[in-house]
Amino acid sequence: MIRLERVCYRYEGSGAAVEDLSFEINRGEFAALLGENGAGKSTVAKLIDGLVKPASGTVTVAGLDTRKTKTSELAKRVGFLFQNPDRQICKNTVREELAFGLELRGLDRAAIDERVERTLRDFGFDGERGPFTLSRGERQRLALASIIAAEPEIMILDEPTTGLDYRECMRVMEAVKGLNENGATVLMICHDMEVVLDFARRALVLSKGRLIADGAARRIFRSACAMEKASLSPPQITQLSLRLGAGFEEADTVGELAEAIVKRRRAV
Amino acid sequence: MISVKDLTFVYEGARKAALSGVSMEIRQGGFVGVIGPSGAGKTTLLSCMNGIIPHHFKGDYYGSVKICGKDTFDCSLTELSLVAGTVFQDVDGMLINATVEDEVLYGLENFGLPKAEIAARLEEVLEEVGIAGLRRRSISTLSGGQKQKVAIAAVLALRPQILLLDEPTGELDPASSRLVFSLLKRLNRERGITVVAVEQKIMLLSEFASELAVMSEGRLEFFGPVREVLRHSEELEKIGVNCPRVVALSRELEKRGLTAGTLCVSVDEAEAEVRRVLEG
Ligand SMILES: Nc1ncnc2c1ncn2[C@@H]1O[C@H](COP(=O)(O)OP(=O)(O)OP(=O)(O)O)[C@@H](O)[C@H]1O
Ligand SMILES: Nc1ncnc2c1ncn2[C@@H]1O[C@H](COP(=O)(O)OP(=O)(O)O)[C@@H](O)[C@H]1O
Ligand SMILES: [Mg+2]
Ligand SMILES: [Mg+2]
Repeated sequence: MIRLERVCYRYEGSGAAVEDLSFEINRGEFAALLGENGAGKSTVAKLIDGLVKPASGTVTVAGLDTRKTKTSELAKRVGFLFQNPDRQICKNTVREELAFGLELRGLDRAAIDERVERTLRDFGFDGERGPFTLSRGERQRLALASIIAAEPEIMILDEPTTGLDYRECMRVMEAVKGLNENGATVLMICHDMEVVLDFARRALVLSKGRLIADGAARRIFRSACAMEKASLSPPQITQLSLRLGAGFEEADTVGELAEAIVKRRRAV
Repeated sequence: MISVKDLTFVYEGARKAALSGVSMEIRQGGFVGVIGPSGAGKTTLLSCMNGIIPHHFKGDYYGSVKICGKDTFDCSLTELSLVAGTVFQDVDGMLINATVEDEVLYGLENFGLPKAEIAARLEEVLEEVGIAGLRRRSISTLSGGQKQKVAIAAVLALRPQILLLDEPTGELDPASSRLVFSLLKRLNRERGITVVAVEQKIMLLSEFASELAVMSEGRLEFFGPVREVLRHSEELEKIGVNCPRVVALSRELEKRGLTAGTLCVSVDEAEAEVRRVLEG
Protein backbone atom coordinates (compact mmCIF):
# COMPACT_ATOMS: atom_id res chain seq x y z
CA MET A 1 0.00 0.00 0.00
CA ILE A 2 2.87 2.35 0.86
CA ARG A 3 6.36 1.74 -0.48
CA LEU A 4 9.53 3.76 -0.06
CA GLU A 5 12.56 2.70 -2.08
CA ARG A 6 15.95 4.18 -1.29
CA VAL A 7 14.44 7.55 -0.55
CA CYS A 8 16.60 10.57 0.22
CA TYR A 9 15.35 14.01 1.13
CA ARG A 10 17.26 17.11 2.13
CA TYR A 11 15.94 20.43 3.41
CA GLU A 12 17.87 23.45 2.31
CA GLY A 13 19.93 24.86 5.13
CA SER A 14 19.75 21.97 7.59
CA GLY A 15 21.28 19.05 5.76
CA ALA A 16 19.73 15.63 5.45
CA ALA A 17 16.35 14.78 6.89
CA VAL A 18 15.85 11.34 5.35
CA GLU A 19 18.69 9.15 4.20
CA ASP A 20 18.41 6.04 2.00
CA LEU A 21 15.11 4.96 3.47
CA SER A 22 13.25 1.84 2.32
CA PHE A 23 10.21 0.13 3.78
CA GLU A 24 6.84 -1.18 2.77
CA ILE A 25 3.50 -1.10 4.56
CA ASN A 26 0.83 -3.51 3.42
CA ARG A 27 -2.90 -3.04 3.12
CA GLY A 28 -4.65 -3.23 6.48
CA GLU A 29 -1.55 -2.80 8.63
CA PHE A 30 -1.49 -0.58 11.73
CA ALA A 31 2.08 0.66 12.01
CA ALA A 32 3.73 3.24 14.24
CA LEU A 33 6.65 5.41 13.18
CA LEU A 34 8.85 6.20 16.19
CA GLY A 35 12.00 8.19 16.75
CA GLU A 36 13.63 11.13 18.52
CA ASN A 37 12.67 14.76 17.91
CA GLY A 38 14.09 15.74 14.55
CA ALA A 39 14.50 12.10 13.44
CA GLY A 40 12.62 12.78 10.19
CA LYS A 41 9.20 11.29 11.03
CA SER A 42 7.11 14.23 9.84
CA THR A 43 9.25 14.42 6.74
CA VAL A 44 8.42 10.79 5.96
CA ALA A 45 4.74 11.57 6.50
CA LYS A 46 4.94 14.49 4.05
CA LEU A 47 6.78 12.33 1.52
CA ILE A 48 3.97 9.78 1.63
CA ASP A 49 1.33 12.45 1.33
CA GLY A 50 3.15 13.98 -1.65
CA LEU A 51 3.67 17.33 0.07
CA VAL A 52 7.38 16.91 -0.51
CA LYS A 53 8.94 14.84 -3.26
CA PRO A 54 12.00 12.63 -2.82
CA ALA A 55 15.33 13.99 -4.05
CA SER A 56 16.15 10.44 -5.09
CA GLY A 57 14.42 7.10 -4.78
CA THR A 58 10.68 6.54 -5.14
CA VAL A 59 7.61 6.75 -2.97
CA THR A 60 4.61 4.71 -4.12
CA VAL A 61 1.22 5.09 -2.47
CA ALA A 62 -1.71 2.90 -3.50
CA GLY A 63 0.22 2.11 -6.66
CA LEU A 64 0.82 5.77 -7.50
CA ASP A 65 4.29 7.28 -7.78
CA THR A 66 4.06 10.48 -5.69
CA ARG A 67 6.35 12.31 -8.08
CA LYS A 68 4.02 11.68 -10.99
CA THR A 69 0.74 12.20 -9.15
CA LYS A 70 -1.00 15.44 -8.23
CA THR A 71 -1.22 16.09 -4.50
CA SER A 72 -4.98 16.56 -4.85
CA GLU A 73 -5.22 13.12 -6.45
CA LEU A 74 -3.30 11.54 -3.57
CA ALA A 75 -5.44 13.42 -1.06
CA LYS A 76 -8.46 11.44 -2.26
CA ARG A 77 -6.80 8.22 -1.18
CA VAL A 78 -4.84 9.37 1.85
CA GLY A 79 -6.15 11.00 5.02
CA PHE A 80 -3.34 13.11 6.43
CA LEU A 81 -3.22 14.63 9.90
CA PHE A 82 -0.66 17.40 10.35
CA GLN A 83 1.39 17.55 13.53
CA ASN A 84 -0.16 20.98 14.09
CA PRO A 85 -3.94 20.86 13.55
CA ASP A 86 -4.05 24.58 12.77
CA ARG A 87 -2.29 23.82 9.49
CA GLN A 88 -5.38 22.10 8.17
CA ILE A 89 -8.34 23.82 9.80
CA CYS A 90 -9.59 26.49 7.40
CA LYS A 91 -13.36 26.99 7.70
CA ASN A 92 -15.50 29.22 9.88
CA THR A 93 -17.58 26.62 11.65
CA VAL A 94 -17.01 23.08 12.81
CA ARG A 95 -19.80 21.85 10.51
CA GLU A 96 -18.27 23.51 7.42
CA GLU A 97 -14.86 22.18 8.35
CA LEU A 98 -16.16 18.62 8.48
CA ALA A 99 -18.07 19.02 5.21
CA PHE A 100 -15.05 20.51 3.44
CA GLY A 101 -12.97 17.34 3.61
CA LEU A 102 -15.86 15.32 2.22
CA GLU A 103 -16.52 17.76 -0.63
CA LEU A 104 -12.88 17.40 -1.71
CA ARG A 105 -13.51 13.70 -2.04
CA GLY A 106 -16.43 14.32 -4.33
CA LEU A 107 -19.19 12.79 -2.19
CA ASP A 108 -22.77 13.80 -3.01
CA ARG A 109 -24.64 16.28 -0.84
CA ALA A 110 -26.86 13.77 0.96
CA ALA A 111 -23.93 11.54 1.87
CA ILE A 112 -21.95 14.55 3.08
CA ASP A 113 -24.78 15.78 5.30
CA GLU A 114 -25.31 12.34 6.74
CA ARG A 115 -21.65 11.84 7.59
CA VAL A 116 -21.23 15.34 9.00
CA GLU A 117 -24.16 14.85 11.36
CA ARG A 118 -22.89 11.44 12.40
CA THR A 119 -19.40 12.79 13.08
CA LEU A 120 -20.77 15.74 15.08
CA ARG A 121 -22.67 13.23 17.19
CA ASP A 122 -19.85 10.70 17.57
CA PHE A 123 -17.34 13.32 18.62
CA GLY A 124 -19.74 15.46 20.61
CA PHE A 125 -19.02 18.67 18.68
CA ASP A 126 -21.16 21.77 18.47
CA GLY A 127 -21.42 22.32 14.69
CA GLU A 128 -21.86 26.09 14.95
CA ARG A 129 -18.69 26.77 17.01
CA GLY A 130 -15.86 28.61 15.29
CA PRO A 131 -12.89 26.24 15.08
CA PHE A 132 -10.50 28.83 16.44
CA THR A 133 -12.46 29.35 19.65
CA LEU A 134 -11.86 25.67 20.45
CA SER A 135 -9.06 24.60 22.78
CA ARG A 136 -5.93 23.03 21.29
CA GLY A 137 -7.16 19.54 22.25
CA GLU A 138 -10.55 20.19 20.67
CA ARG A 139 -8.94 21.50 17.46
CA GLN A 140 -6.84 18.36 17.34
CA ARG A 141 -9.95 16.23 17.65
CA LEU A 142 -11.70 18.24 14.94
CA ALA A 143 -8.80 17.78 12.53
CA LEU A 144 -8.84 14.05 13.22
CA ALA A 145 -12.63 13.83 13.00
CA SER A 146 -12.62 15.37 9.54
CA ILE A 147 -10.16 12.72 8.39
CA ILE A 148 -12.04 9.90 10.04
CA ALA A 149 -15.32 11.11 8.52
CA ALA A 150 -13.85 10.67 5.05
CA GLU A 151 -13.04 7.01 5.76
CA PRO A 152 -9.85 7.03 3.68
CA GLU A 153 -8.08 3.83 2.59
CA ILE A 154 -4.83 5.11 4.03
CA MET A 155 -4.36 7.25 7.11
CA ILE A 156 -1.12 9.03 7.94
CA LEU A 157 -1.43 10.50 11.41
CA ASP A 158 1.32 12.79 12.70
CA GLU A 159 1.07 12.74 16.50
CA PRO A 160 -2.71 12.28 16.69
CA THR A 161 -2.83 12.24 20.48
CA THR A 162 -0.83 15.34 21.45
CA GLY A 163 -2.91 17.90 23.25
CA LEU A 164 -5.58 15.33 24.08
CA ASP A 165 -6.46 14.20 27.56
CA TYR A 166 -6.60 10.49 28.32
CA ARG A 167 -10.29 10.06 27.60
CA GLU A 168 -10.18 11.93 24.29
CA CYS A 169 -7.06 10.04 23.33
CA MET A 170 -8.85 6.71 23.83
CA ARG A 171 -11.88 7.96 21.96
CA VAL A 172 -9.98 8.99 18.84
CA MET A 173 -7.73 5.95 18.89
CA GLU A 174 -10.76 3.66 19.10
CA ALA A 175 -12.18 5.44 16.05
CA VAL A 176 -8.92 4.93 14.15
CA LYS A 177 -8.83 1.30 15.25
CA GLY A 178 -12.38 0.85 13.93
CA LEU A 179 -11.39 2.09 10.47
CA ASN A 180 -8.32 -0.12 10.53
CA GLU A 181 -10.47 -3.14 11.34
CA ASN A 182 -12.55 -2.26 8.31
CA GLY A 183 -9.48 -2.44 6.13
CA ALA A 184 -7.81 0.98 6.30
CA THR A 185 -4.02 1.11 6.38
CA VAL A 186 -2.69 3.25 9.23
CA LEU A 187 0.73 4.80 9.78
CA MET A 188 0.85 6.75 13.00
CA ILE A 189 3.66 8.90 14.38
CA CYS A 190 3.53 8.88 18.14
CA HIS A 191 5.69 9.65 21.17
CA ASP A 192 3.42 7.87 23.62
CA MET A 193 4.63 4.29 23.86
CA GLU A 194 1.59 3.14 25.81
CA VAL A 195 -0.65 4.22 22.93
CA VAL A 196 1.67 2.46 20.47
CA LEU A 197 1.56 -0.71 22.56
CA ASP A 198 -2.24 -0.65 22.79
CA PHE A 199 -2.98 0.11 19.14
CA ALA A 200 -0.12 -0.51 16.71
CA ARG A 201 1.06 -3.95 15.75
CA ARG A 202 4.20 -2.97 13.92
CA ALA A 203 6.78 -0.33 14.79
CA LEU A 204 9.35 1.34 12.57
CA VAL A 205 12.09 3.24 14.34
CA LEU A 206 13.76 6.17 12.68
CA SER A 207 16.91 7.82 13.97
CA LYS A 208 18.74 10.66 12.26
CA GLY A 209 16.81 10.01 9.07
CA ARG A 210 17.59 6.29 8.89
CA LEU A 211 15.51 3.24 9.68
CA ILE A 212 17.17 1.48 12.61
CA ALA A 213 14.50 -1.09 13.53
CA ASP A 214 11.33 -2.53 12.04
CA GLY A 215 9.18 -5.29 13.47
CA ALA A 216 6.46 -6.23 15.93
CA ALA A 217 5.98 -3.27 18.30
CA ARG A 218 6.26 -5.47 21.36
CA ARG A 219 9.54 -6.92 20.18
CA ILE A 220 11.00 -3.54 19.33
CA PHE A 221 10.23 -2.25 22.83
CA ARG A 222 12.43 -5.03 24.13
CA SER A 223 15.38 -4.11 21.95
CA ALA A 224 17.32 -1.80 24.27
CA CYS A 225 19.74 -0.79 21.55
CA ALA A 226 17.18 0.56 19.08
CA MET A 227 15.14 2.20 21.82
CA GLU A 228 18.06 4.08 23.31
CA LYS A 229 19.44 5.17 19.99
CA ALA A 230 16.09 6.77 19.13
CA SER A 231 15.57 8.39 22.57
CA LEU A 232 12.65 6.12 23.34
CA SER A 233 11.73 4.30 26.49
CA PRO A 234 9.47 1.26 26.65
CA PRO A 235 6.04 1.38 28.28
CA GLN A 236 6.13 0.96 32.09
CA ILE A 237 5.04 -2.66 32.26
CA THR A 238 7.52 -3.67 29.55
CA GLN A 239 10.29 -1.88 31.47
CA LEU A 240 9.30 -3.78 34.55
CA SER A 241 9.14 -7.19 32.89
CA LEU A 242 12.52 -6.56 31.22
CA ARG A 243 14.01 -6.02 34.66
CA LEU A 244 12.35 -9.16 36.01
CA GLY A 245 13.97 -11.24 33.28
CA ALA A 246 13.28 -14.89 32.48
CA GLY A 247 9.64 -15.93 32.62
CA PHE A 248 8.37 -12.42 31.91
CA GLU A 249 9.25 -12.10 28.23
CA GLU A 250 5.64 -11.93 27.08
CA ALA A 251 4.31 -9.58 29.73
CA ASP A 252 3.57 -6.11 28.34
CA THR A 253 0.19 -5.36 29.90
CA VAL A 254 -0.97 -5.24 33.51
CA GLY A 255 -3.04 -8.41 33.06
CA GLU A 256 -0.20 -10.33 31.39
CA LEU A 257 2.29 -9.35 34.07
CA ALA A 258 -0.06 -10.29 36.91
CA GLU A 259 -0.65 -13.67 35.24
CA ALA A 260 3.09 -14.25 34.85
CA ILE A 261 3.63 -13.45 38.53
CA VAL A 262 0.93 -15.91 39.58
CA LYS A 263 2.42 -18.59 37.34
CA ARG A 264 5.89 -18.07 38.77
CA ARG A 265 4.62 -18.28 42.32
CA ARG A 266 2.86 -21.53 41.59
CA ALA A 267 6.04 -22.96 40.04
CA VAL A 268 8.10 -22.15 43.13
CA MET B 1 4.75 31.56 47.43
CA ILE B 2 1.54 31.20 45.48
CA SER B 3 -1.68 31.54 47.37
CA VAL B 4 -4.99 31.05 45.61
CA LYS B 5 -8.12 31.79 47.64
CA ASP B 6 -11.66 30.98 46.59
CA LEU B 7 -10.92 31.80 43.00
CA THR B 8 -13.78 31.89 40.53
CA PHE B 9 -13.38 33.15 36.99
CA VAL B 10 -15.85 33.44 34.13
CA TYR B 11 -14.43 34.53 30.76
CA GLU B 12 -16.27 37.50 29.31
CA GLY B 13 -19.24 36.20 27.32
CA ALA B 14 -18.85 32.61 28.57
CA ARG B 15 -21.82 30.77 30.04
CA LYS B 16 -19.87 28.63 32.48
CA ALA B 17 -17.20 29.48 35.04
CA ALA B 18 -13.76 28.28 33.89
CA LEU B 19 -12.69 28.15 37.55
CA SER B 20 -15.01 27.73 40.51
CA GLY B 21 -13.96 28.18 44.11
CA VAL B 22 -10.35 27.07 43.71
CA SER B 23 -8.10 27.41 46.75
CA MET B 24 -4.52 26.21 46.98
CA GLU B 25 -1.32 27.11 48.79
CA ILE B 26 1.93 26.38 47.01
CA ARG B 27 4.98 26.79 49.21
CA GLN B 28 8.32 28.06 48.03
CA GLY B 29 10.26 25.15 46.52
CA GLY B 30 7.09 23.21 45.76
CA PHE B 31 6.79 21.11 42.61
CA VAL B 32 3.14 20.82 41.69
CA GLY B 33 1.82 18.78 38.78
CA VAL B 34 -1.58 19.83 37.45
CA ILE B 35 -3.64 17.31 35.54
CA GLY B 36 -7.23 17.03 34.35
CA PRO B 37 -9.32 16.62 31.22
CA SER B 38 -9.16 19.31 28.58
CA GLY B 39 -11.41 22.23 29.39
CA ALA B 40 -10.98 21.55 33.12
CA GLY B 41 -9.47 24.99 33.71
CA LYS B 42 -5.77 24.14 33.94
CA THR B 43 -4.59 26.83 31.55
CA THR B 44 -6.98 29.30 33.16
CA LEU B 45 -5.45 28.53 36.56
CA LEU B 46 -1.94 29.20 35.25
CA SER B 47 -3.18 32.41 33.59
CA CYS B 48 -4.37 33.57 37.00
CA MET B 49 -0.95 32.86 38.47
CA ASN B 50 1.02 34.78 35.85
CA GLY B 51 -1.42 37.69 35.80
CA ILE B 52 -2.70 37.23 32.24
CA ILE B 53 -5.99 37.02 34.10
CA PRO B 54 -7.13 39.63 35.11
CA HIS B 55 -4.71 41.91 33.22
CA HIS B 56 -5.22 40.60 29.71
CA PHE B 57 -8.37 38.46 29.69
CA LYS B 58 -11.45 40.15 31.06
CA GLY B 59 -14.29 38.48 32.86
CA ASP B 60 -15.91 38.04 36.26
CA TYR B 61 -13.22 37.51 38.84
CA TYR B 62 -13.86 36.57 42.46
CA GLY B 63 -11.34 35.61 45.11
CA SER B 64 -7.63 36.36 45.09
CA VAL B 65 -4.25 35.15 43.89
CA LYS B 66 -1.14 36.26 45.74
CA ILE B 67 2.37 35.77 44.43
CA CYS B 68 5.04 36.26 47.11
CA GLY B 69 2.43 37.95 49.26
CA LYS B 70 1.31 40.45 46.62
CA ASP B 71 -2.11 40.34 45.01
CA THR B 72 -1.77 39.90 41.24
CA PHE B 73 -4.46 42.54 40.84
CA ASP B 74 -2.06 45.13 42.25
CA CYS B 75 1.00 44.12 40.21
CA SER B 76 1.69 44.89 36.56
CA LEU B 77 2.28 42.08 34.08
CA THR B 78 5.92 43.17 33.75
CA GLU B 79 6.44 43.00 37.49
CA LEU B 80 4.89 39.55 37.60
CA SER B 81 6.92 38.28 34.67
CA LEU B 82 10.11 39.01 36.58
CA VAL B 83 9.02 36.56 39.28
CA ALA B 84 7.08 33.96 37.31
CA GLY B 85 8.15 32.67 33.89
CA THR B 86 5.58 30.94 31.73
CA VAL B 87 5.99 28.33 29.01
CA PHE B 88 2.70 28.55 27.14
CA GLN B 89 0.74 25.69 25.66
CA ASP B 90 0.77 27.27 22.21
CA VAL B 91 4.46 27.27 21.39
CA ASP B 92 4.03 28.68 17.89
CA GLY B 93 2.41 31.78 19.32
CA MET B 94 5.23 32.22 21.79
CA LEU B 95 8.23 32.12 19.48
CA ILE B 96 8.64 35.50 17.87
CA ASN B 97 12.25 35.68 16.77
CA ALA B 98 13.97 34.46 13.61
CA THR B 99 16.59 32.11 15.04
CA VAL B 100 16.96 29.88 18.08
CA GLU B 101 19.74 32.03 19.51
CA ASP B 102 17.76 35.25 19.03
CA GLU B 103 14.76 33.77 20.76
CA VAL B 104 16.72 32.96 23.91
CA LEU B 105 18.67 36.24 23.79
CA TYR B 106 15.50 38.31 23.41
CA GLY B 107 14.31 37.72 26.96
CA LEU B 108 17.78 38.00 28.46
CA GLU B 109 18.48 41.34 26.80
CA ASN B 110 15.12 42.71 27.91
CA PHE B 111 16.11 41.82 31.44
CA GLY B 112 19.09 44.17 31.14
CA LEU B 113 21.72 41.66 32.29
CA PRO B 114 25.46 42.28 31.75
CA LYS B 115 26.79 41.01 28.39
CA ALA B 116 29.02 38.31 29.85
CA GLU B 117 26.18 36.94 31.96
CA ILE B 118 23.89 36.83 28.93
CA ALA B 119 26.45 34.87 26.91
CA ALA B 120 27.04 32.42 29.74
CA ARG B 121 23.36 31.77 30.30
CA LEU B 122 22.72 31.27 26.59
CA GLU B 123 25.44 28.60 26.39
CA GLU B 124 24.24 26.91 29.53
CA VAL B 125 20.58 26.71 28.70
CA LEU B 126 21.08 25.50 25.10
CA GLU B 127 23.28 22.75 26.48
CA GLU B 128 20.86 21.82 29.26
CA VAL B 129 17.88 21.52 26.97
CA GLY B 130 19.90 19.69 24.34
CA ILE B 131 19.56 22.18 21.48
CA ALA B 132 23.10 23.55 21.23
CA GLY B 133 23.30 22.10 17.72
CA LEU B 134 20.28 24.12 16.60
CA ARG B 135 21.65 27.46 17.79
CA ARG B 136 21.74 29.28 14.46
CA ARG B 137 18.79 27.52 12.88
CA SER B 138 15.80 29.49 11.73
CA ILE B 139 12.85 28.69 13.98
CA SER B 140 10.40 28.27 11.12
CA THR B 141 12.38 25.25 9.92
CA LEU B 142 12.42 23.32 13.20
CA SER B 143 10.44 20.15 13.88
CA GLY B 144 7.57 20.36 16.38
CA GLY B 145 9.56 18.95 19.29
CA GLN B 146 12.56 21.15 18.55
CA LYS B 147 10.37 24.27 18.72
CA GLN B 148 8.98 23.20 22.06
CA LYS B 149 12.52 22.86 23.40
CA VAL B 150 13.36 26.40 22.27
CA ALA B 151 10.32 27.79 24.10
CA ILE B 152 11.38 26.02 27.29
CA ALA B 153 14.98 27.18 26.98
CA ALA B 154 13.95 30.81 26.47
CA VAL B 155 12.05 30.81 29.77
CA LEU B 156 14.60 28.81 31.77
CA ALA B 157 17.35 31.24 30.73
CA LEU B 158 15.62 34.00 32.70
CA ARG B 159 15.83 31.93 35.91
CA PRO B 160 12.56 33.10 37.40
CA GLN B 161 11.72 32.14 41.00
CA ILE B 162 8.54 30.52 39.79
CA LEU B 163 8.17 28.42 36.65
CA LEU B 164 4.72 27.90 35.18
CA LEU B 165 4.59 25.36 32.36
CA ASP B 166 1.53 24.46 30.31
CA GLU B 167 1.89 20.98 28.79
CA PRO B 168 5.57 21.56 28.02
CA THR B 169 6.32 18.05 26.75
CA GLY B 170 3.35 17.53 24.42
CA GLU B 171 5.53 17.06 21.35
CA LEU B 172 8.73 15.82 22.98
CA ASP B 173 10.12 12.32 22.56
CA PRO B 174 10.24 10.21 25.74
CA ALA B 175 13.91 10.90 26.48
CA SER B 176 13.52 14.67 25.97
CA SER B 177 10.40 14.72 28.16
CA ARG B 178 12.35 13.12 30.96
CA LEU B 179 15.28 15.42 30.35
CA VAL B 180 13.05 18.47 30.76
CA PHE B 181 11.47 17.14 33.94
CA SER B 182 14.84 16.13 35.40
CA LEU B 183 16.06 19.63 34.69
CA LEU B 184 13.01 21.15 36.37
CA LYS B 185 13.56 18.88 39.36
CA ARG B 186 17.18 19.94 39.60
CA LEU B 187 16.33 23.65 39.47
CA ASN B 188 13.64 22.96 42.03
CA ARG B 189 16.02 21.16 44.41
CA GLU B 190 19.18 23.17 43.92
CA ARG B 191 17.82 26.66 43.50
CA GLY B 192 14.53 26.30 45.33
CA ILE B 193 12.58 27.31 42.24
CA THR B 194 8.85 26.72 42.58
CA VAL B 195 7.44 24.70 39.69
CA VAL B 196 3.83 24.39 38.58
CA ALA B 197 3.51 22.12 35.53
CA VAL B 198 0.33 21.21 33.68
CA GLU B 199 0.96 17.86 32.05
CA GLN B 200 -1.07 15.01 30.57
CA LYS B 201 1.71 12.48 31.10
CA ILE B 202 0.79 11.20 34.53
CA MET B 203 3.90 9.00 34.63
CA LEU B 204 6.17 12.04 34.49
CA LEU B 205 4.20 13.81 37.19
CA SER B 206 4.15 10.84 39.53
CA GLU B 207 7.88 10.49 39.22
CA PHE B 208 8.98 14.12 39.38
CA ALA B 209 6.32 16.23 41.10
CA SER B 210 5.90 16.36 44.87
CA GLU B 211 2.26 17.30 44.75
CA LEU B 212 -0.56 16.64 42.38
CA ALA B 213 -3.50 18.95 41.65
CA VAL B 214 -6.38 17.32 39.80
CA MET B 215 -8.85 19.61 38.08
CA SER B 216 -12.23 18.84 36.62
CA GLU B 217 -14.88 21.22 35.33
CA GLY B 218 -13.26 24.25 36.91
CA ARG B 219 -12.87 22.67 40.33
CA LEU B 220 -9.83 21.47 42.18
CA GLU B 221 -10.87 17.91 42.95
CA PHE B 222 -7.69 16.70 44.60
CA PHE B 223 -4.58 18.46 45.84
CA GLY B 224 -1.91 16.79 47.89
CA PRO B 225 1.23 14.65 47.86
CA VAL B 226 1.44 12.56 44.69
CA ARG B 227 1.05 9.24 46.44
CA GLU B 228 -2.00 10.31 48.41
CA VAL B 229 -3.74 11.56 45.31
CA LEU B 230 -2.92 8.42 43.30
CA ARG B 231 -4.61 6.34 46.00
CA HIS B 232 -7.86 7.65 44.54
CA SER B 233 -7.13 6.01 41.21
CA GLU B 234 -10.70 4.86 40.69
CA GLU B 235 -12.15 8.31 41.27
CA LEU B 236 -9.45 9.77 39.05
CA GLU B 237 -10.47 7.47 36.24
CA LYS B 238 -14.05 8.66 36.57
CA ILE B 239 -12.86 12.23 36.11
CA GLY B 240 -10.95 11.07 33.02
CA VAL B 241 -7.43 10.98 34.43
CA ASN B 242 -5.62 7.69 33.93
CA CYS B 243 -3.10 6.36 36.39
CA PRO B 244 0.41 5.15 35.67
CA ARG B 245 0.28 1.48 34.72
CA VAL B 246 2.35 0.52 37.73
CA VAL B 247 -0.47 1.93 39.89
CA ALA B 248 -2.94 -0.26 37.98
CA LEU B 249 -0.57 -3.16 38.55
CA SER B 250 -0.51 -2.48 42.31
CA ARG B 251 -4.29 -2.62 42.29
CA GLU B 252 -4.35 -5.83 40.30
CA LEU B 253 -1.89 -7.55 42.62
CA GLU B 254 -3.96 -6.51 45.62
CA LYS B 255 -7.13 -7.79 43.97
CA ARG B 256 -5.50 -11.17 43.47
CA GLY B 257 -4.56 -11.24 47.13
CA LEU B 258 -0.83 -11.07 46.41
CA THR B 259 -0.14 -7.83 48.28
CA ALA B 260 -1.74 -5.90 51.07
CA GLY B 261 -2.31 -2.85 48.92
CA THR B 262 1.13 -1.27 48.62
CA LEU B 263 0.87 1.54 46.10
CA CYS B 264 3.76 1.70 43.63
CA VAL B 265 4.11 4.98 41.75
CA SER B 266 7.32 4.25 39.82
CA VAL B 267 8.88 1.33 37.97
CA ASP B 268 11.57 1.09 40.68
CA GLU B 269 8.99 0.70 43.40
CA ALA B 270 6.99 -1.79 41.36
CA GLU B 271 10.09 -3.88 40.73
CA ALA B 272 10.88 -4.09 44.45
CA GLU B 273 7.28 -5.00 45.22
CA VAL B 274 7.04 -7.71 42.56
CA ARG B 275 10.31 -9.24 43.76
CA ARG B 276 8.87 -9.35 47.29
CA VAL B 277 5.77 -11.10 45.97
CA LEU B 278 7.88 -13.62 44.02
CA GLU B 279 10.04 -14.41 47.01
CA GLY B 280 6.76 -14.65 48.89
N1 LIG C 1 11.38 23.36 6.41
C1 LIG C 1 12.53 22.87 6.91
N2 LIG C 1 13.73 23.43 6.55
C2 LIG C 1 14.89 22.95 7.05
N3 LIG C 1 14.99 21.93 7.90
C3 LIG C 1 13.86 21.30 8.29
C4 LIG C 1 12.57 21.76 7.82
N4 LIG C 1 11.62 20.97 8.37
C5 LIG C 1 12.28 20.08 9.15
N5 LIG C 1 13.62 20.28 9.11
C6 LIG C 1 14.66 19.49 9.81
O1 LIG C 1 14.64 18.15 9.35
C7 LIG C 1 14.80 17.22 10.42
C8 LIG C 1 13.59 16.27 10.48
O2 LIG C 1 12.41 17.01 10.76
P1 LIG C 1 11.00 16.33 11.01
O3 LIG C 1 10.00 17.43 11.17
O4 LIG C 1 10.77 15.31 9.98
O5 LIG C 1 11.29 15.62 12.44
P2 LIG C 1 10.32 14.73 13.35
O6 LIG C 1 10.92 13.38 13.46
O7 LIG C 1 8.93 14.83 12.88
O8 LIG C 1 10.50 15.46 14.79
P3 LIG C 1 9.41 15.78 15.96
O9 LIG C 1 9.29 14.54 16.78
O10 LIG C 1 10.10 16.85 16.77
O11 LIG C 1 8.16 16.24 15.31
C9 LIG C 1 14.97 18.07 11.69
O12 LIG C 1 16.33 18.20 12.01
C10 LIG C 1 14.38 19.42 11.30
O13 LIG C 1 14.98 20.46 12.03
N1 LIG D 1 -10.28 32.98 26.02
C1 LIG D 1 -11.35 32.30 26.39
N2 LIG D 1 -12.61 32.81 26.25
C2 LIG D 1 -13.70 32.12 26.65
N3 LIG D 1 -13.67 30.89 27.20
C3 LIG D 1 -12.46 30.32 27.37
C4 LIG D 1 -11.25 30.99 26.98
N4 LIG D 1 -10.20 30.17 27.28
C5 LIG D 1 -10.74 29.06 27.83
N5 LIG D 1 -12.09 29.14 27.89
C6 LIG D 1 -13.01 28.12 28.45
O1 LIG D 1 -12.69 27.95 29.82
C7 LIG D 1 -12.71 26.57 30.18
C8 LIG D 1 -11.36 26.14 30.73
O2 LIG D 1 -10.41 26.20 29.69
P1 LIG D 1 -8.85 25.96 29.90
O3 LIG D 1 -8.40 26.66 31.13
O4 LIG D 1 -8.16 26.29 28.63
O5 LIG D 1 -8.82 24.39 30.16
P2 LIG D 1 -7.61 23.34 30.12
O6 LIG D 1 -6.32 24.09 30.08
O7 LIG D 1 -7.78 22.55 31.38
O8 LIG D 1 -7.83 22.50 28.92
C9 LIG D 1 -13.17 25.81 28.92
O9 LIG D 1 -14.55 25.61 29.02
C10 LIG D 1 -12.81 26.76 27.79
O10 LIG D 1 -13.65 26.56 26.67
MG1 LIG E 1 7.22 15.74 13.63
MG1 LIG F 1 -4.82 24.02 28.52
